[in-house]
Amino acid sequence: MRTEIVIRHIGMVLMFNAIFLFISFLISLFLSETSAVPLLYSSLIALVFGLFPLIYVQPSNYISILEGTSIVVFGWIATCLVGSLPYVLWSSEFSFINAWFESVSGFTTTGSTIITDIEIIPKGLLFWRSSTHWIGGIGVILFTILILPGSNTSKLVLLNTEMSALAKNNFKFRAKEILRILLYVYLGLTILETILLNIAGMSFFDAINHSFATIATGGFSTKNLSIAYYNSISIEVIIMVFMVFSGVHFGLIFNTVLGKKNNIFKSYIFKVFITFLMAGILVVSLKLYFSDMYPWWQSVRYAAFQVLSLGTTTGFATTDTANWPGFTQIILIYFTIQCAMMGSTSGGLKFDRVFIFFKAIVKQIKSIQHPHAVISLKVDGNSINEKTEIHTMVFIILYLGIIFITTALLTFFDVDSFTAFSSSAATIGNVGPGFGDVSSLGNYSNLPDPGKFILTINMLLGRLEIFGIISLLFIKSWK
Amino acid sequence: MKIKFKILTGFLLIIIMLLIAGAMSIYEFSRIGKSVRALIDDNYKTIEASKTMIVALEREDSGILLLISGKWKAGRRILQSADSLFLSAFDTAKNNLTEEDEDIHIEKIETSYLKFKDKWEPPIVGTNKENSINWYFTEVHMNFIEVKSEIEALMTLNQDSMHLEASELKEQAHRAIMPGIVAIASALILLVLFNFFIGNILVKPIKKLINSVKGYHLLSQEFNADISNHDEFKILENEIQELIQRLKK
Repeated sequence: MRTEIVIRHIGMVLMFNAIFLFISFLISLFLSETSAVPLLYSSLIALVFGLFPLIYVQPSNYISILEGTSIVVFGWIATCLVGSLPYVLWSSEFSFINAWFESVSGFTTTGSTIITDIEIIPKGLLFWRSSTHWIGGIGVILFTILILPGSNTSKLVLLNTEMSALAKNNFKFRAKEILRILLYVYLGLTILETILLNIAGMSFFDAINHSFATIATGGFSTKNLSIAYYNSISIEVIIMVFMVFSGVHFGLIFNTVLGKKNNIFKSYIFKVFITFLMAGILVVSLKLYFSDMYPWWQSVRYAAFQVLSLGTTTGFATTDTANWPGFTQIILIYFTIQCAMMGSTSGGLKFDRVFIFFKAIVKQIKSIQHPHAVISLKVDGNSINEKTEIHTMVFIILYLGIIFITTALLTFFDVDSFTAFSSSAATIGNVGPGFGDVSSLGNYSNLPDPGKFILTINMLLGRLEIFGIISLLFIKSWK
Repeated sequence: MKIKFKILTGFLLIIIMLLIAGAMSIYEFSRIGKSVRALIDDNYKTIEASKTMIVALEREDSGILLLISGKWKAGRRILQSADSLFLSAFDTAKNNLTEEDEDIHIEKIETSYLKFKDKWEPPIVGTNKENSINWYFTEVHMNFIEVKSEIEALMTLNQDSMHLEASELKEQAHRAIMPGIVAIASALILLVLFNFFIGNILVKPIKKLINSVKGYHLLSQEFNADISNHDEFKILENEIQELIQRLKK
């Protein structure tokens, strides 16, 4: 492995962050906020670390798979470290672990927070916080390879490392095309949602911050009460629509807009995904209504928002689900584990894998009934080979195993078991809020520091699809 | 890019980063200095003036009691000195308006004090007010309490602001120290990277050249150092290549 090439690419990723840090600095400077100097200095540090390797390392047209994996994994870690600088520099309230937690939560689009009073944070810093969602949403590396002056081969290696194989199924384009589609859909949705939220009554600053958080399926809000602060049906509806869009494969949205064949109306997996969400809303609404929690229309309103928020891994809230009946919490935990579709900005397990899992069960039953029959497993017309099937099953087992291990570790640090389980599931799924002490209107500040660190590892594992990080731990087997 | 320029740029980047961290710390420390001065100038002065006003007011109260008990000379003497003390402290507070709504408090103190003064300025000794404890409690004492509570409100306003400023000082101290810590940590990482890159641009090509020359000289291999950087080492490689070609001729 050529370490210098890895460092050069990580440098480029950091320079990309420097741009957003500088924009946040300009906002703080314009508003004469105390966060201006910390943001400027963080931007400078990111720039210096980005420029440094460019001076000494010549560009390379070829990137090996090990180098690609290293660039992606270390690129994310370096990005999260630089992202935590403005918090650490700004206030003594942010210990290093708190700043690291907030930064990782932002970049991985988890949306869990340790901030107890968001509204006292300067706007420049809030913009940086939302930007971490937006940058992380599409993948820091994807952003960078768009501007990477390397060859198509190196772009393809990085793209393959950043996106899972299943996610690429619906694109059916070359690397360059996929990047273009992702960028168009991402920018288009962000601009459209900002305009609509602004029209619906949100200030422009809040609208752009909430758009960043919605499109990236993040969940950071600029208000302590999240979306509940606005108490506006129109704002909730707009956010719900865009949460669903952001949880859908971007290739499908792109094809639908262009009137191409492979669109959302033709996609079976999309229909099943939406059916699952609708069923979730129905069941939760009924339970809320019959438990005398709310009148019927409010039951539907709150259930729809919470199911879509957790089902798309966004994590916004319109009410505190900590007080909801146990049954509804279990349903919401299911959606926390299921997550949204491949090829979207969401992290975690992904609905496509759950779908393959259910199909594999059916396939197993059929093969028991007809031992000599050749039964193939198809998703949206694409045959899923045995290798992908096994990979998916191993992934699901590993995913649930990690939830179990982190839950056990958190309980070791005296976190109650419900909070530990739900926070583990919420962080590896990049969802954000859990239940118990970390419910939708609560936060993670009261967790012990080692617990916070464990959860940040969870977030990175969820974002990088687990195998990326784990494969680097077995460096010898690469040789 | 020339090697000299690469090394210089690396050093310059580290120096710029450290200089800016230093500048930031100096800026934040100077802000701390200004804040401390502001604490003394803005709030502490008014708090001290308020305390003096209360002392003067209490003396005036004693003076009034002396007048009621018929001690005209002692009463008037105390009242006059306390009044001038009060007015001088009041002037200090009036000329040191630094907080929002502080002017409203000053105005209220002035109004209520004038009302209080109206009670004791006219003659008391030899009138029906002499020995009248009832008059004192129904008219004078009420005004005394009113002025005192207005002064206390002014004092609380400044004390709260002082507390807030002191909390901000803690944050400013944090902001002054942290760039230094971050700069040191970053400089250490950059130095490790610098060492790594210097090894890459200096040691690696030298080794490659040595091995190629050895290969040519001892094993009669083709000379090819495969220097990828476009710097002095590439020029040296080309020169050696040319020299070999000339020697072959």
